[in-house]
Amino acid sequence: MAAIAARRGFGFALPALALLVAFFVMPVMWLLLRSVTEPGLGFQNYATLFGTATYAKVFLNTFMVAGIVTVITLLLAFPVAWALVILPPRWSMVLFAIVILSMWTNLLARTYAWMVLLQRTGLVNQILMGLGITDAPLELVNNLIGVTIGMVYIMLPFMILPIYGVIRQIDASVLQAASLCGATRWQALWRVLLPLCVPGIASGVLMVFVMALGYYVTPSLLGGTSHMMLAELIAQLVQSLVNWGLGGAAAFVLLVATLALYALQIRLVGLPKGAQ
Amino acid sequence: MTTPFLHINGIRKTFGDVVATDHVELKIAEGEFMTFLGPSGSGKSTTLYILAGFQEPTAGDILLRGKTLLKTPSHKRNIGMVFQRYTLFPHLSVGENVAFPLRVRRTPADEVQRRVKRALELARLQGFEDRMPANMSGGQQQRVALARALVYDPPVLLMDEPLSALDKKLREEIQHEIRRIHQETGVTILYVTHDQEEALRLSDRIAVFNKGRIEQVGTGPQLYNSPASHFVADFVGDSAFLTAEFTRASGGTADLRFADGTEVRGVPLHGADPKGRAELMLRPERIRLVPQPGAGPSLPVTIADITFLGNVTSILARTSWGEEVGIRLPFGHPMASGLAPGAQTQIEWDAASAHAFAARAH
Repeated sequence: MAAIAARRGFGFALPALALLVAFFVMPVMWLLLRSVTEPGLGFQNYATLFGTATYAKVFLNTFMVAGIVTVITLLLAFPVAWALVILPPRWSMVLFAIVILSMWTNLLARTYAWMVLLQRTGLVNQILMGLGITDAPLELVNNLIGVTIGMVYIMLPFMILPIYGVIRQIDASVLQAASLCGATRWQALWRVLLPLCVPGIASGVLMVFVMALGYYVTPSLLGGTSHMMLAELIAQLVQSLVNWGLGGAAAFVLLVATLALYALQIRLVGLPKGAQ
Repeated sequence: MTTPFLHINGIRKTFGDVVATDHVELKIAEGEFMTFLGPSGSGKSTTLYILAGFQEPTAGDILLRGKTLLKTPSHKRNIGMVFQRYTLFPHLSVGENVAFPLRVRRTPADEVQRRVKRALELARLQGFEDRMPANMSGGQQQRVALARALVYDPPVLLMDEPLSALDKKLREEIQHEIRRIHQETGVTILYVTHDQEEALRLSDRIAVFNKGRIEQVGTGPQLYNSPASHFVADFVGDSAFLTAEFTRASGGTADLRFADGTEVRGVPLHGADPKGRAELMLRPERIRLVPQPGAGPSLPVTIADITFLGNVTSILARTSWGEEVGIRLPFGHPMASGLAPGAQTQIEWDAASAHAFAARAH
């Protein structure tokens, strides 16, 4: 019965599916096609991509930045998600508003704001020097630090919300039971709370890592030339060098990496909630 | 007097203006099965949570073998607890759930294995070690919780309505198991319930809670046969209350007059201020139906309803001024034969089986 009902409801998904096919699947296929046909038929674009040290470094760098951003985001997001659950409703609403509002603010505006804050004469450097922590202004933009700060900030809600979702479902008496069983707070965290949060942490980590892999705006505005990421490389290949073949190959590699990660997550922790 | 094993000494807990418990005073002997019985919001669970260390009392103390427990955080109290909701760790197997208290205490592996085995045997869960909690029934989960709470030999086991989520048949089965485990281990149990039948079945002694205070402490028969207050009489067992007036009260007995002028003498009296309006409590199985007044106290009534309940027949009688009295007779009892609703008859009881209370202000 449920299967029939599900098949009937399928009709309502057609407009969205048509849109996806026309503006996502087709262009991707077209790009894939160009990657194996330009300048000539074959896989020479892929060979160039993996065979050239500069490009290999961009791949490595992309995964490294995505990894750093994911780890820092997780460390910052967990206490926030915990606070959202345990704070009195009024305070948790305020905190929620801050998390959600930051998502609704324009991405460019937020990234430029960080440029202003982090530049040599920016607020952050002024405060650090005013407090006597440093004598000279720190280089906080146009390098890895700038990219990491900017991206962590943007990714935080995508990590906080899934973790909040799993923590909220944990019965407080399970943690009380752990305590009476003799577990210190630290043991209760490591042996009970964190294992129960694994599904939320996994979906947050995957979401952030995948988004970070393909991120363009923040790395190009806050990053430097020494830490180019894959999306920047694709933009450069297509816009400046008009090399659609190589650009298409790079884009396709990114897509495959993303899909592989998604498959891995399904393997390890199952489909995200609601997709079952 | 020697130091009591567990002494709940004048516990008071307030949440803002709300008083959750007040002057809760109780001495519990080692190995005793003590039940906190009362309606929800009567302070019984709050008292248990203070013992567990989840809440701090506003005033008073908890002494275990003469030493205060209040300064010890809950993870160092070494107290076992089974909760109302299922609180097994869902990511751990049954064996690992039971091993958890030992693992956090860094018990050597071979001892963990030995003790887990023993605890699972105690809870009759052999062969379930590798099951996950999600694949077990509610009754089985509470058995695992019991094994987990006993595996480290706590001096005191707290149980907070552990059977309230189970159906009646399963509840009785596990009550039996709890009783057996109590006898086998000799652990001191503090058990919270709102179910008087459960309390009577399990406990050595029962503390009846009402509005944050203990109304009476005693064995089941003590509470049933000589309730100290209207509340206890009403909460423990079924009873009928008839309005009357005191005509005399002294030396633990009272004489009463009903609205129809019938007088009864020498009724056991409980509580202070026996003046003015009174209430006479009658247990349904202590009342006899007789055609004519006999030697004992009696009252003319009209039969209102007769219900067959299997092994007993429940009869509802109405006094001339409209109050109702329930009477319970064994099935097929001669006193019930030939009776029909509307029949005029007499109820009769032994003076000592009734209880007089001063009427509560309404």
